[in-house]
Amino acid sequence: MSRSGPLPFLRAAWIVAILACLYLPIVSVVLASLANSRYMRFPHRVWTLDAYREAVGFFQTWDLHLISLQIAAGVVALSVALGTLGAMAYARYDWRGRGLFRRLLVLPVFFPQPVLGLALLLSFTAAGVVPSWKTVVIAHAVWIVPIVTLVISIRLFGYDVAQEEAAFDLGATRLQVFREVTLPALWPGIFSGALFAFLLSWSNLPLSIYTSGPDTPLPVWLFSRVATNYAPLVPAIAVIGTIVSALVVLGLVGLRGALARLR
Amino acid sequence: MSRVHGPWFALPVGLFLAAFFAAPIVIVAWYSLMPPRTFELSGALTTANYRAAFGEGYERPLMWSALGAALTTLVCALLAWPTATILHRSAGRWAGVVTALIALPIFISESVRLFGMSLFLMPGGGILAGTLNALFEVRVGSILNSRLGALVGLVYIHFPFMLFPLLLGVAMVPADRIEAARDLGAGRLAVFREVELPLAAPGLSIGCLLTFVLALGANAEAAILGGRAVTVITAAIEQRFNYAQDWPMGAALTVLVIAVTAAVVFPVLARVPLDRIIRR
Repeated sequence: MSRSGPLPFLRAAWIVAILACLYLPIVSVVLASLANSRYMRFPHRVWTLDAYREAVGFFQTWDLHLISLQIAAGVVALSVALGTLGAMAYARYDWRGRGLFRRLLVLPVFFPQPVLGLALLLSFTAAGVVPSWKTVVIAHAVWIVPIVTLVISIRLFGYDVAQEEAAFDLGATRLQVFREVTLPALWPGIFSGALFAFLLSWSNLPLSIYTSGPDTPLPVWLFSRVATNYAPLVPAIAVIGTIVSALVVLGLVGLRGALARLR
Repeated sequence: MSRVHGPWFALPVGLFLAAFFAAPIVIVAWYSLMPPRTFELSGALTTANYRAAFGEGYERPLMWSALGAALTTLVCALLAWPTATILHRSAGRWAGVVTALIALPIFISESVRLFGMSLFLMPGGGILAGTLNALFEVRVGSILNSRLGALVGLVYIHFPFMLFPLLLGVAMVPADRIEAARDLGAGRLAVFREVELPLAAPGLSIGCLLTFVLALGANAEAAILGGRAVTVITAAIEQRFNYAQDWPMGAALTVLVIAVTAAVVFPVLARVPLDRIIRR
């Protein structure tokens, strides 16, 4: 490109600096987990995996993971179901209220999450609903359903409706058209939507913190332990939680690949 | 045919958001008009909570949150603009890898990342201070537990939310338009002001909007990195709800935050062609 711009070296240095800033805190968590003293004094006198051994044997580690997993699974199911239908209304069909629907749909994304969490907490309590992992699913979904709807819609914008009409003309039934034409076209969007839903739910703190009640998801527990009662166990569990989410994503991607090969 | 189907497909999402997004806002607004320290929704309507909000000094946390969000937006925009233009212009293989690397941390919980930030910045035995001390025997101070610390955390968490809409915005600037402006004798500043900025404006606006709104309600940054240096509005609302058991007052503060949000969101969304950005 243009030779008049800043030197290529400067540009590369800028990008490296941005990446370094983004990853330093994450590296710091890993480094902190390799100690065995309750006080953070870097560099550690002893480098050890003790904290991981303790974390794996600690029943609460798996409790936290189970609750986070349960919530994320609920959010994925809810947001894929609602998001697929919503995407049809957003991008596939042309109808009178569509402009308004598109504008209203994005509002939850442009809304401060902790404020949404507090508003939901107040409403649930007023309605006599006791906060639990189920209320977290609802809270996450308010924010994630619009995102998944948009992710699936992006796929649908490139969708040619004529294919469906051609299938009808060739004598296919409504169900056949949906299974053979519409769903395969939607599938990549649904899959990315599900991944987004899982990851966003797994890592969410601001909505969970006010709506989870006694069922503590992983990020909320980490948040509470950062302030008080620090031990290398805390960063170790943070690392384990991140690895587990990466494994789930890799597993899903692998499963999809295997299914595609079977077909 | 399709005109009939559209509303039916929109219905489930519509009902869900009406029940769990619109209704809670209405309930909170109604609570904010109830007599102080009551738990019923049937009391006589009063504006006492709003008057108390400003009488008891709650404008300060609101101001801190708004100021923090504005500064976060500004700093993120200044950092993201060069990043986005560099990534866009060198659209080679590594630009894709770098973009993915920047996106990845969004999916790591913000409690993990902020925790890491505090471990990095911790005075004395933190990662940064400890390393500098061990290698160079330099002792450094720390911005942990200060307003600056909270701001650094806000910028760190919200940077990707600015960058990605901005990348889409920068992609809307045709390269030949810049070349043409240069050929006509425009300087760097003129090209930026007259060509790049207006054409990338939709992406920049969405990035600014997203960053501002998310930072406005942010609580964890101030809690983990700001220590007791600053009380943000979300912390003040939580305190009213939980410890003071004063729901109507907490609701009034919530309504004030929602009002600020709406005042920013509606004008921007009305002007920006969101569909055109999403379609890309």
